[in-house]
Amino acid sequence: MPMNEKRCVITGLGLVCAIGNDTEECFESALNGRSGITDVKSFDTSACYSHKGAEVSSSNEQLAKGRYDRTTALGIKAAGEALADAGINTDSEGASDIGVILGSCIAGAACVEKYYNAKVKGEKGDIEDLKAMPASAIAGNVADYYNAGGITANIVNACAAGTLSVAMAIDLIRGGKGEIFLAGGCDSFSSLAYAGFHALRALAPSDCSPFNHSDGITLGEGAGVLVVESYEHAVKRGAKIYCDVLGSGVSSDAYHITAPRPDGEGQMSVITRAVRNSGLKFTDIGYVNAHGTGTAKNDESEFLSLNTVFADNKDLSVSSTKSMTGHCLGAAGAIEAVLTVKALKEGKLPPTTGYSEEDLKGYSEEDLKVLAEKSGDINFIANKPLEKDIKYAMSNSFAFGGNNASIVFAKDPNLLNLTCPKQDLYVTGLGIVSGEFDETSKTYVAKLDTDTFKAYGVKSAFLRKLDRLSQLQLLSGLKALEDAGVTVTPENEGIIGICIGTNDGPMTEIANFQKGIIRDGIDKGSAFAFPNTVYNAAGGYLSIATGIKGYNVTIANGFQSGLQSVCAASGAIMFGYESIMLASGTDECTDIDEEIYSDLGIAGEGKTTLGEGSVTCVIEKDSSATERGAKRYAKIAGFSSARDTSSDRSDNLRLSEASLTKAVMNVLDESGMKASDVKCIYGFGNGIAEVDDFEMEVYRKIFGDGIEVKLVKKDFGEARAASSSLQFAMLAKDIYEGRFENGIAVSFGTSALYSAVLLTKA
Amino acid sequence: MNNEIAEKIKGMLVERLRIPEDELEYDSELFGEDIGLDSIDSIEIIVGIENLFGVDISGAGATREDFRSIETLTAFVEAHKED
Repeated sequence: MPMNEKRCVITGLGLVCAIGNDTEECFESALNGRSGITDVKSFDTSACYSHKGAEVSSSNEQLAKGRYDRTTALGIKAAGEALADAGINTDSEGASDIGVILGSCIAGAACVEKYYNAKVKGEKGDIEDLKAMPASAIAGNVADYYNAGGITANIVNACAAGTLSVAMAIDLIRGGKGEIFLAGGCDSFSSLAYAGFHALRALAPSDCSPFNHSDGITLGEGAGVLVVESYEHAVKRGAKIYCDVLGSGVSSDAYHITAPRPDGEGQMSVITRAVRNSGLKFTDIGYVNAHGTGTAKNDESEFLSLNTVFADNKDLSVSSTKSMTGHCLGAAGAIEAVLTVKALKEGKLPPTTGYSEEDLKGYSEEDLKVLAEKSGDINFIANKPLEKDIKYAMSNSFAFGGNNASIVFAKDPNLLNLTCPKQDLYVTGLGIVSGEFDETSKTYVAKLDTDTFKAYGVKSAFLRKLDRLSQLQLLSGLKALEDAGVTVTPENEGIIGICIGTNDGPMTEIANFQKGIIRDGIDKGSAFAFPNTVYNAAGGYLSIATGIKGYNVTIANGFQSGLQSVCAASGAIMFGYESIMLASGTDECTDIDEEIYSDLGIAGEGKTTLGEGSVTCVIEKDSSATERGAKRYAKIAGFSSARDTSSDRSDNLRLSEASLTKAVMNVLDESGMKASDVKCIYGFGNGIAEVDDFEMEVYRKIFGDGIEVKLVKKDFGEARAASSSLQFAMLAKDIYEGRFENGIAVSFGTSALYSAVLLTKA
Repeated sequence: MNNEIAEKIKGMLVERLRIPEDELEYDSELFGEDIGLDSIDSIEIIVGIENLFGVDISGAGATREDFRSIETLTAFVEAHKED
């Protein structure tokens, strides 16, 4: 069976947001047009021009047992409902195979606020808040909570993250990397996001009104989680099946860091990709849950793109449920996916609210007239739900950074008949930006100067907008494209994609923005700084600077994220989404990072030495490399991420022999090699005795005493995701230059997730 | 032109918008080819000027022309500043 034919089905749903505490309540509210938007309660908005939000009434303690950041607590609540709905007993052995892929935009923003509130007052921040701040903590914590031992990933592509997570889950299942996943997204209400959108003047003065008044968004919070599993797995365990999830689309605007393209090109591209990858025609889609944020720019471009791409579809219904749930950022796509599955299953489509007579502005009749003019043949389901039997439904998300994602759910699985011939994958370019030891800070610092960027044609007017993380990422991306001899043109811009791994993302920008609003007030956030607080800004800027319009995903999942990005990039090529992928690992080292790692007790005297950098590897399929006559550093013979829950699940920084062994054995299996065939390991040792001893002991058990283990961190510092990418890049170089025939790059992440990639001679 | 105001505005642009100081003259076209500012930057300028001088340039009816350069912003602030 060609791999894309492997059926993926939805077998469980979980939902919590301002319109309900579970899926049934939320769907009922959505059908009845009950809005969750009220005056903000989480913090004081009296100095702001807007006071509205869609918050969840439950406390953290009501959402999850134990101490978690609110974003994670929301994820735990929805995941629990989804598991119960799917009939999965988390104490059973079956739970150990479940993977967790969750999207988030603002990650542990509540803990960021708490930690820096203490810091600004000169107090010692709480180390538990510190551990819960990065996005890297979320999926692992949710997985550990439910004893789920499959692969984890945090997808951090801002407002497209929830949709992308579901898309990644089906790719992992079809790629043979798991049979069952909890996929979705979660985000809490936060002063950070509120101040940011307030600064951008993007908040609606009153309740948001998508596809209507379009005068801004209303922020919300919540989580949506879907159980996505292979059809065979679902049937074997006798699960009830809601529907199939067919294909997905991912694209980049390559236009602006916050605004969508006015011509809708990126949106139309992603819808087209999702329809094509689902083996459908545009006329097959019966319902679209739109992005529909309620900003003028979004609504104008979305009206245009939907009307253009679905011009031949005379029976399309579209609604924006954000009119009731608010914009839940990284959870939005997942919440909307759950509502879309319910709508498909029950034949009842939720409306877009706000056109009614209750509308405070009293525009209702005029609104409906304007809507009729703008909507063409599309039914935007104003105010009242629509009973309609549909076969195929789509959910769309368009995010900061110009990241677009679309997913298709179906009652009928039979039309999916895509074939994707398996091809070998090669490393065809490397771009390395690494640090040099700085005597003052005692860290490894990368050199970034405007002249280097100018040589690549990057103007200072563009460069000044980029934070340090984005500059590191841009430079390694440009170097990698140059090394690979790839020039982005209108012909190839859509078949090149980006996958970035990071541990800390833009934590410096997040911390400084939060400190700014603590100091100056929530109404005084910086419009200039806010866009750089999203984890996928670096990937967005790379796409804008290079013109790359394909796949674009950012994964924040511990130090191993650089290697996990290679795994995800390889998957994106295997499924025929792209021909060439830039797979990066990037992390910065600023005074904020130094403080965080010192407070965590990881960096400093007698511990590891922090570093920074960005490494981008060009991964390319055989036919594309042949056509271009590309240089081939090495062949990717196997890639795997693995974890387990056999050790202490309460410690998300634990080391796990079982997980590391599993990741290594998986790549040996995949490449058809034995441990004795392996010539070299590029390991993750970082100078912390516990980590280094653990790693060497596990390798000794697998490979015996003679295996050569190379450690990049002793020369470049602990640059986290950049280090794991550097391990991969150095191995590829060694193989290219004939030092080794083959080797494995291995790294570790939070909640015992390990990734390994096996490279052989090209 | 009031040099004291102009210098404060220049400092604010350098700090808040990370414009390289050596590329920024009083008559540089802020939103043109010279510096390349965009709509997000203009919001930041409005907040920066309000913080510095207590002048709400957006509420006071500043036009696109008033945002052209440090010179024009200085003139606008001078005209609307309450001493």
